[in-house]
Amino acid sequence: MKKDEEFMPRILAFLCNWCSYAGADLAGTSRLKYPPSILPIRVMCSSRVDPLFIVKAYLGGIDGVLLAGCHPGDCHYEKGNYYTRRRFALIKKIFEELDMEADRLLLSWISASEGPKYAKVATEFTEKIKKLGENPAKNKIFL
Amino acid sequence: MNKPTGAVISAKSSTKKSIIDFLEKAMDKGVFDAVIVPMRVPAGDSFAYVLIKDKSLFKDAFPIPPVMFVQGAKAVSSVTRLGKGNMKIAALMRPCEIRATIELAKLGQTDLENMTLISMDCPGVLPTSDFLSDPEKGMKQFDEAAKNLDDKIMRPVCQICDKSSMMAGDLHIGTLGAKKDTFFVISNSQKGNDILDKLGISLKDNIDSWHAKVKNISEEKLKKRKKAHKDLKSEIGGLDNLLDAYNQCINCHNCMRVCPVCYCRLCYFDSDNVKHPSEDYLQMAESKGSIRFLPDTIFFQMGRMMHMSLSCVSCGACEDACPVSIPVAQIFSMISDETQGLFDYVSGRSLEEPLPLVAYKEEELHEMEDAND
Amino acid sequence: MTKTLKINKNVEQGILELLRFLLDGGKVSGVFTLKRINKEGSVAYSLVTRSDELEDAVPLFPLMPVNAGKLLSRFSLRGKSNKPVAAVVKPCELRAFIELVKREQGSLENIFFISSTCGGVYPIEMAVDGAVENNLSKYWEAVKKGEIPAQIRPACRGCVEFKPYTADMTVDLVGSSDIDKRCMILLNTKNGEELAQDMKGDFLEKELDKKILDKFQNKREAERKKLFDEIEEKMKGLDGFIDIFGKCLGCHGCSKVCPICYCKLCEFESPDSEYKPSNYESDLKKRGGLKVPPGTVYFQIGRLDHIAISCVGCGACEDVCPVDIPISIIFKKVGESVQKLFDYIPGRDVKEEIPLLTFEKDELSEVED
Ligand code: SF4
Ligand code: SF4
Ligand code: SF4
Ligand code: SF4
Ligand code: SF4
Ligand code: FES
Repeated sequence: MKKDEEFMPRILAFLCNWCSYAGADLAGTSRLKYPPSILPIRVMCSSRVDPLFIVKAYLGGIDGVLLAGCHPGDCHYEKGNYYTRRRFALIKKIFEELDMEADRLLLSWISASEGPKYAKVATEFTEKIKKLGENPAKNKIFL
Repeated sequence: MNKPTGAVISAKSSTKKSIIDFLEKAMDKGVFDAVIVPMRVPAGDSFAYVLIKDKSLFKDAFPIPPVMFVQGAKAVSSVTRLGKGNMKIAALMRPCEIRATIELAKLGQTDLENMTLISMDCPGVLPTSDFLSDPEKGMKQFDEAAKNLDDKIMRPVCQICDKSSMMAGDLHIGTLGAKKDTFFVISNSQKGNDILDKLGISLKDNIDSWHAKVKNISEEKLKKRKKAHKDLKSEIGGLDNLLDAYNQCINCHNCMRVCPVCYCRLCYFDSDNVKHPSEDYLQMAESKGSIRFLPDTIFFQMGRMMHMSLSCVSCGACEDACPVSIPVAQIFSMISDETQGLFDYVSGRSLEEPLPLVAYKEEELHEMEDAND
Repeated sequence: MTKTLKINKNVEQGILELLRFLLDGGKVSGVFTLKRINKEGSVAYSLVTRSDELEDAVPLFPLMPVNAGKLLSRFSLRGKSNKPVAAVVKPCELRAFIELVKREQGSLENIFFISSTCGGVYPIEMAVDGAVENNLSKYWEAVKKGEIPAQIRPACRGCVEFKPYTADMTVDLVGSSDIDKRCMILLNTKNGEELAQDMKGDFLEKELDKKILDKFQNKREAERKKLFDEIEEKMKGLDGFIDIFGKCLGCHGCSKVCPICYCKLCEFESPDSEYKPSNYESDLKKRGGLKVPPGTVYFQIGRLDHIAISCVGCGACEDVCPVDIPISIIFKKVGESVQKLFDYIPGRDVKEEIPLLTFEKDELSEVED
């Protein structure tokens, strides 16, 4: 990357099929503006995301990981996102304890109708990651 | 192959540097796309094998490191176990690491088609814990000892290694018997010949001095080895002595986990086969009044001898990883010399020799049979 | 107040007498205890069914060759024990077993636990050259005075969970000055009381001395802080982590001996964690080089993700690490901080659910966007 080029982070977004993925879709069809930094991955429920996916993405050099699901109480499978929240809290805490930029990880609840919220989250998270800069894991050898 | 032939390479700066130059040149010419070489880890307290594609990383490469952190066969196997891939790769390792790699190839755990194995004259390695207690000192001590061909501070199995210059791979780097500021590059396979050919190195030099020195050293070491094994046998022979030797074993299976030829994903001795209902354990205990728990220590050790002593390369990795300092590698090197001897087999000597247990001859081993038959 | 059995013998003899009594009277069919295996101070867990075999038993020996929780799991994995057995274990071994039971890796049924306030254990390597044996008298002097014995495992030095939570019997050790003369065994449960019934000795009502144990706790806490501060100094981001684990061999010995890591096939040894040639190619494009075999950092963070919530801080992992990485302190530190998230103490109570298998509807709003 050249110095004067602006750093555009790469953010992996795990989006729940029943809500956040639809929310992202809505943001797109409504032509809301948000940065092209997000690489979406559709999952059937936020609880499908093994925290190890997050670790793997981070070590693989992804600059940020967004995990988005239905609002508490609205999970298609009733309880999935409650478990998600605990698992996320766990992995985030581990990152914090290891002083590994836990800010690169974000959990957000975005419903199917919240296109604007998706755009806002995507924009703000991208801004935050821009400030953090590139993920240092990207060019590590001794992993 | 006939007697291996070689070339004299000049090493004005240092052998290490020249070996790296050699690899770099080979990469420049497209002979290799990547290489596996030891590198010092960022904290500087150890070494690791690194698969290098970016040549700028060579500045931290460290051929012939003073310790064997991970047995190199494990490194090669991790790269090619699931297929040979598209990259042509060279791996620079010690002879016992190459031999273990060849055993793994026979066991279907690595695909060597795109791999070039480069060995070197090995001065031995320091026991890992000795090195870790003071890495800087370890480096100096190792260099000094290597220069003087002094093996007293090396791993016990290195002190009795008669195969420290054994050529099993494709190319070999010989430092023994070489004139000042030179070393030998010796080819041991068609692959090796082709590579040197591409690099414009012709195999016309006289390497008799290397052959002579190697012969000399391995004969001497073989004597030492035989004596050491004899002594060990009198010490641990017989069930009681064997039990004694493994007295302190805590069943951690570290020895198996670091062993290059113990490749199984799920070891038999960790499988359901060794897990019993509580009644069985109580019954076992009742028959003697008391049993050690877990009761499988010797079963595991003898089982491992059965499973892999034919492929053991006496590298010493197991012994180094044993938390209670059991001389596992010395015991295995003794056993494996015997078991391999039965079949006139030397682990990792050649890819062409089949594993003894997957081959047989109709007329053999009569001495094992009951004479009445 | 807790019913307490007082035996007028030194503490080790007292327990042995209890164990003999249990075996001879048919109250239990077997006893798990450490036994000496040689004169140099090596011990191993044994399952003893005949009381004359208790001669070499050293139930309170300050070594942990294997975390006994793992052994009891092996014992009861294929179904609960049909006969009663007693197990003399250290508090973290008991907690580890309870965590395993929560994971359906064993059964508490018919196992009675005898534990003690724990002074700590020595690193296993000290058993090799007789160092433990030579230190024994110093060890017991320190324990009597409620001090931290020198040279014990780092994990033990900083352990504040030295009182067992759910033992049927607790032997009063730490800070009790007269263990040379008498053995005090608190009978915490009905099972404990029934087992000790008719035993020769005095029965009294007693509690562990809170003042003494609080003081000991403070010393341990101070040590723990020191250990945590030291490691925090090094655990600075990914680079710090790589500095610590750069020498890791990937032997996975740490997970193999960890009582919480019970999986028959570890995720990090499974096909899912293996690199294909194409993975290498893409990684090389990105990084220019890669440590092989790869996966050190992934394994370590992944193992933290899997078991930090239940890490009992026993130190077994660190004991077997061939390259002396201070794993137990790292796991203990990260472990305690994630356990705090859910107000969870591993092995405190078998009825407490593993936090990741349950939830509350209203919680953790701080991790939500
Ligand atoms: S048994 Fe020990 S000496 Fe033999 S190959 Fe395995 S690790 Fe090396
Ligand atoms: S490494 Fe040592 S203690 Fe562990 S199983 Fe092997 S021989 Fe036993
Ligand atoms: S991670 Fe280490 S300290 Fe924690 S329970 Fe496992 S072995 Fe014990
Ligand atoms: S690290 Fe995870 S998968 Fe591996 S043994 Fe431990 S709990 Fe199981
Ligand atoms: S025991 Fe030590 S070397 Fe082995 S995997 Fe664990 S941390 Fe790494
Ligand atoms: S279905 Fe959307 S979070 Fe479970």
